[in-house]
Amino acid sequence: MDTAKKRARIIFHIDMNSFYASVETAHDPELRGKPLAIAGKVEDRRGIVVTSSYEARAQGVRTTMPVWEAKRHCPELIVKTPNFPLYRATSQRLFQLLRSYTPLVQKVSIDEGYMDVTEVASDIHPVQLAKSIQQKVLDTLKVPSSIGIAPNKFLAKMASDMKKPLGITVLRKRDIQSKLWPLAVGEMHGVGSKTEEKLKRIGIHTIGDLAKSDKAYIAERFGLYGEKLYERANGIDHRMVDPEAEETFKSISQSTTLSDDTTSVAVVRKTLMMLAEKIEGRLRKKKVSAYQITLSIRYHDWKNISRGHTVKQPIQTKDDIMGHIMPIFHEHWDGRPIRLLGITVQSFEELGHASKQLDLFSYQSDLKDEPLIQAINQIESKFGEGMIGSAANYKNAHRSRKKDAGHDH
Amino acid sequence: MQDVMNSNNHDTALAMKFSITKDKLVENVNHVMKAVSSKTTIPILTGIKITASHDGITLTGSNSDISIKSFIPLEENDEEYATIEKTGSVVLQARVFSDIVKKLPSEFVNIEVDSRLITRITSGSSEFNLNGLDAEEYPRLPLIEEGNVLHVRTDLLKHVIRQTGFAVSTSETRPVLTGVNWNIQNGNLNCVATDSHRLASRTISIDADENAEYKNIVIPGKSLNELSKILDDSSGEWVEIVITESQILFKTKHLQFYSRLLDGNYPDTNRLIPTESKTDIILSTKALLQAIDRASLLAKEERNNVVKFRTLEDSIEISSQSAELGRVFENVELQSLEGEELKISFSAKYMIDALSRIESQEIRISFTGAMRPFLIRPVEDEGILMLILPVRTY
Amino acid sequence: MGFHDLAKQQKTVSRILTNALRRDQLAHAYLFEGPKGTGKRQAASLLAQAYFCQTKNDDTIEPCQECVNCRRILSGNHPDLVWVKPDGKSIKKEQVSNLLKEFSYRGVESIRKFFVIEEADKMTAQAANSLLKFIEEPSPQTIAVLITEQAHKLLDTIVSRCQTLTFIPLPEAQIAEQLVQQNISEPLAKLSAAVTNDIDEAVDYCHDEWFAKARQLVIQLMEGTMGQSHSPLLMIYDQFFPHFDEVHKLDIGLDFILYWLRDILAIHLENEKDIVFIDQIDILKNQALKSSMQQITGKMSAVLAAKKRLSANVNLQSVMEQLVLRLQGGSHHAV
Repeated sequence: MDTAKKRARIIFHIDMNSFYASVETAHDPELRGKPLAIAGKVEDRRGIVVTSSYEARAQGVRTTMPVWEAKRHCPELIVKTPNFPLYRATSQRLFQLLRSYTPLVQKVSIDEGYMDVTEVASDIHPVQLAKSIQQKVLDTLKVPSSIGIAPNKFLAKMASDMKKPLGITVLRKRDIQSKLWPLAVGEMHGVGSKTEEKLKRIGIHTIGDLAKSDKAYIAERFGLYGEKLYERANGIDHRMVDPEAEETFKSISQSTTLSDDTTSVAVVRKTLMMLAEKIEGRLRKKKVSAYQITLSIRYHDWKNISRGHTVKQPIQTKDDIMGHIMPIFHEHWDGRPIRLLGITVQSFEELGHASKQLDLFSYQSDLKDEPLIQAINQIESKFGEGMIGSAANYKNAHRSRKKDAGHDH
Repeated sequence: MQDVMNSNNHDTALAMKFSITKDKLVENVNHVMKAVSSKTTIPILTGIKITASHDGITLTGSNSDISIKSFIPLEENDEEYATIEKTGSVVLQARVFSDIVKKLPSEFVNIEVDSRLITRITSGSSEFNLNGLDAEEYPRLPLIEEGNVLHVRTDLLKHVIRQTGFAVSTSETRPVLTGVNWNIQNGNLNCVATDSHRLASRTISIDADENAEYKNIVIPGKSLNELSKILDDSSGEWVEIVITESQILFKTKHLQFYSRLLDGNYPDTNRLIPTESKTDIILSTKALLQAIDRASLLAKEERNNVVKFRTLEDSIEISSQSAELGRVFENVELQSLEGEELKISFSAKYMIDALSRIESQEIRISFTGAMRPFLIRPVEDEGILMLILPVRTY
Repeated sequence: MGFHDLAKQQKTVSRILTNALRRDQLAHAYLFEGPKGTGKRQAASLLAQAYFCQTKNDDTIEPCQECVNCRRILSGNHPDLVWVKPDGKSIKKEQVSNLLKEFSYRGVESIRKFFVIEEADKMTAQAANSLLKFIEEPSPQTIAVLITEQAHKLLDTIVSRCQTLTFIPLPEAQIAEQLVQQNISEPLAKLSAAVTNDIDEAVDYCHDEWFAKARQLVIQLMEGTMGQSHSPLLMIYDQFFPHFDEVHKLDIGLDFILYWLRDILAIHLENEKDIVFIDQIDILKNQALKSSMQQITGKMSAVLAAKKRLSANVNLQSVMEQLVLRLQGGSHHAV
């Protein structure tokens, strides 16, 4: 973070415009120019609109509106169910494309990300660069985007919101007073409706009000989070574009070469147990649980196999790991001498979000943790959600409700 | 097929002969075809068994798990359907036979089987000769003992199946849970299904011998599903139910539906149902169902659509979030709230499954803690109970 | 087939099964283990008949073979007999799930169920584990028979929970005798019984023209290696190679040569009843006169060496050329 201050940076925030609807249209040109909504259940009139095309919005269709109401606003509305595999594939191509400009790309979600183009923009004007990226994305993926250009992530994010679709907005520090401060504080990235209410109660209605308020007072009322909000309102944000933010969390592996090649199940079990213990430790440290587990075997002749599967109940402890890894081993080991064993877990979820479906015949064994969970619930109901838990939980608990309810505005 | 050429020349003895109206035949072939599968490992089950007796014609189809018998009387309501010239039986390839009868040209069909089981099907100008199979090879379905018959109204039976069948397990790890457990005692039928994450229980009173008592009758969920499809609930008819050691039979006027039972002991679920509660709420079934349905839109399907639920002063809040899609909050007004505050997470899918099978306007939900099963019951009906195990969040 | 037929070939197996049936004490799971062609499948089918037969003889325990159950077991139409046979390399997923379903359901006609799993060593881990679960908590009226030629490949946990019945191969003489009873000529019967202990395979050989001609060619060759009339080397190019044109065929040919030499040895040892080439007894006797036992055993090791070279992928013709020279080397007409 310190090095960030040395030189002015140029940050892009690229945001796909009504991503799901755009992808659907790109995939089925028949839909082009027509009002389209994506809803959970097409056949069910009670389903709600998850997102919609600009044509639909122009006729009053809004995210979270029930389908029947949307159809009243727009009788010719085409409603489709979400095709997540297609969206994910398109997203993957999008980020590949962005990484062809610079490796400094941070994926934030399926349809938005940051790019640090400071180096790239030394021989091309940032606006030109943004235009070329926007055009390339439109040409190859047929999906419109908006790009915000600013000296930091927060301002870039705010900028990309200012003009849609296919907007390019530059938000410099010196523009803050005129462009940022007049906006309602609820429009600010990171301010949810609850925080907005609380801010309004102390007389803060615009981002400008927040910027001009007393930092110590805000910090006292909203803690570290309030301090950050105050800084952002003043255009200060030292967060780096971190390409690893997503990558580093992709998998955890442990492997070991055996001192002698073995065909003994007992030795295999002992070795895997040792690896499982190490993985449990690393999962705990990262505060995540995993939904995928893979066993790697290298035979004495250096032939390798990897076999794994996806689980419904998150993997957290060495017992969870052993419970999956031994059956995988028994199913795939062909009896030849083994030289190396490895376990990989991936597809993580933060612990705060991980969950376990309890079982009627065994839930009693989970009850030993009941007092702890009750205590956490009590504290949370007193002091608000997210007081206990990782920083990630803290952040998520305060993410804007209004903004997150739908992706693209 | 070499025999076919000779069948007309040689004078072979007649094994079965009857004629029947085409429509009636097609209708009944369609009924029994629902039980015939091409994937069977038992060769004879690729066929339909046709039996002509003095009072009518019986068709049987089976995939061994379920079997359907369909009876065509000689006449009914002054309409004549069939005439029998010689009683007997034969098994004919189901697919071929069903395709043939549908396309026959005339209103009437004659079927004639010789002692070598060559079957001649004639209708108007067309004649088919099929190689029949020996009906002796066909599975013997259990015989019905007239004594122990239970009676249930068709629409009620369909209801009970709908209210319990959804909760059976689809996993093979504990096969007995893939069925619905029926217990009959004191004139009551209790049906329980659970996949170990949720449970559905329904009790109805039935028309049976007072002493009739059956325990641990576990009927495969798949069979009940099929049964439900072929039962016509608009007719207001009654279904007769006969239970044998290996099969259960559901009998309507002209149809008999057999299902094999599951082996093994069904777990005692009674002791797993909580009897006390710490938080009791009463609210509108429909309002809750719609709120959960909307909230589940943003819950991850592959992880059971988990939603969060908490009690507020006079309402409850349901929320859900997904990193990709965002967050949703729903509020539902309460009629009443008794006991402690509560925060709990559960699968929206299980909740929707349960709520959509309760017809009552208002439900009572009884919780005993965030990590214990909770009960959903209609306020005014004691005969139905839905139980859901919550999701533990770390 | 009845238990009295089974007893002719598998006396112990037949006795154990009939005793258990008589006392109504069948095990829940049997493992029928033994080489190919020893009657394991027939025995499983017979046991299933005895289990389901409606008019079984209470004394002999023989199934009637006539009731609808006995007949349907043979035709594969008995709905409560589940017979699984691997389709190719392993038992297919669909077969496994059908097997699991059948384990968990009650029978179609009664609560009696009977399972036969052929080549049980080819079960997937999943199938084996659910089988194990069933064997551990069997339904009282269910019997399972596992059939394998390679019992060592089965999970120990499964083997230990089954009653293992070992099927022993039939003695050569008994196979030959049975073949002769089926109107097969004695020389052919003896040779095929020497080649295999699988009676069905032996019958197939006897009806195979290639097999009969191979026999003729070997006789011709062996005659040649000690005779003067024609050169055996010429003969192998002219007739032998076109007939034994693949490794596995030539391997059978080498076995025949070995039997021929063994026959000469048998004459030396005055053990004439063991002779395979029974119709060539005069030539064999003649050759026995002309060679010592040492020379014959020397030639036999030459054949074994040739077999080894053959399996090491040495060229067919060079294997045979070298062998013929060595076979001739022992006679008075060395080249």
